[in-house]
Amino acid sequence: MIDVRALSKKFGDNLVLSDITTSIQKGEVVAIIGPSGSGKSTFLRCLNLLETPSSGSIEINGKNLTASKKEIHKIRQQIGMVFQHFHLFPHMTVRENLMYAPMKAKGVKKYDAEEKARQLLERVGLAQKADAYPNSLSGGQKQRVAIARALAMEPELMLFDEPTSALDPEMVKEVLEVMKDLARSGMTMVVVTHEMGFAREVADRVLFLDHGVLVEEGEPESFFKHPTSERARDFLDKVL
Amino acid sequence: MNLDFSQIVPYIPFMLEGIWVTLKFVFFAIILGSILGTVLALFKIGSAKPLRWFADAYTSIFRGTPLILQLMIIYYSIPQLTGYDISPFLSAILAFGLNSSAYISEIIRAGIQAVDKGQLEAAQALGVPYGAMMKDIILPQALKNILPALMNEFITLTKESAIVSTIGYLDLMRRAQVVGADLFRNFEPLLFVGLIYWCLVMGLTVVGRMVERRLKLSD
Repeated sequence: MIDVRALSKKFGDNLVLSDITTSIQKGEVVAIIGPSGSGKSTFLRCLNLLETPSSGSIEINGKNLTASKKEIHKIRQQIGMVFQHFHLFPHMTVRENLMYAPMKAKGVKKYDAEEKARQLLERVGLAQKADAYPNSLSGGQKQRVAIARALAMEPELMLFDEPTSALDPEMVKEVLEVMKDLARSGMTMVVVTHEMGFAREVADRVLFLDHGVLVEEGEPESFFKHPTSERARDFLDKVL
Repeated sequence: MNLDFSQIVPYIPFMLEGIWVTLKFVFFAIILGSILGTVLALFKIGSAKPLRWFADAYTSIFRGTPLILQLMIIYYSIPQLTGYDISPFLSAILAFGLNSSAYISEIIRAGIQAVDKGQLEAAQALGVPYGAMMKDIILPQALKNILPALMNEFITLTKESAIVSTIGYLDLMRRAQVVGADLFRNFEPLLFVGLIYWCLVMGLTVVGRMVERRLKLSD
């Protein structure tokens, strides 16, 4: 589904991603872990062109992302993204947050968008908050709304950029539950996370990045038990 | 003390009519200034260099020269150059609208740049086209932040509108001068229209507060 070849990204002279090659299959859940500043988020943001790669190519369903700048809206509509800081639209109610993009970007009818919003809010357990404004919600609730908002576009792929890092500890679980539910439903997911428990339990594959280099990748079981690289061992010693 | 307000009583309807005359062109100037200011602000933050350059040059000219000069140039040069006999009313709308758009564009630019960058990224990630994103996501949030500054600009425009008296437009200010010349007493009519200007500005302030409260609903 996603084919990344020799992807590099520079900010000025600073090389933040160096020659990354990997591919992600449909229905796969991939966790990206690594120390801060390792380029995890930048890698994720390249996948929907919020960052423009300096070199290399990304293909999604056979379409080259970097070559089709004109069609980027269409491609992004198939890729949902969830941010660390939610980025809900504060001047819209929760329901409007979910309805806006399908109506504006895909031309979905109001009635259908409303019905979809209702279903999704139910799915993330927030049906009663449909008319609330984002600022009245807790962090965990905001993030669940943000997930629902991304799902409202019916994406084929979901990107999560540290979805639980800005949450109070007691709210992490409710968001992870929603993500697990999503993974079980067969959604293709790429998750940048510091939640090793989540990576271990839910991910089909773990990518370990350090200093912009894809140091190691593998199944969570073997990666967490027997990391082959020195750097991964060091990192796991610190966080586990 | 030689103050006699009873003498201006017969002239009060004449002066009150000036409220309408002033408000009429101030209203259109505010509309013109806001639309043009928004467009210029979008030019300034956009990626097209020529448009950015144009908007910057425009702002520099209209902020860099006196308003009264711009008014005179429009009122006197258009007939001279084109033969079209422009009315004081149209000249006033143009001068005030063009002038205030330079200030408004700066206010809006600052407001747009103060909106969290995440809002833009969220809209982009959802595949929302640029125009819709600006109109529905970024500008409404920017507007909330800049409302006090914008009200300030509208208040300034309302008061400075008195400058149009210099091209013979019969606004509040001009009417006070006419009455003063009639009576050989200037202080009373000037004081009277001063009070009216103050009331107009207070009215605007109240409207601004109301809008601000409405926009705060989502907090």
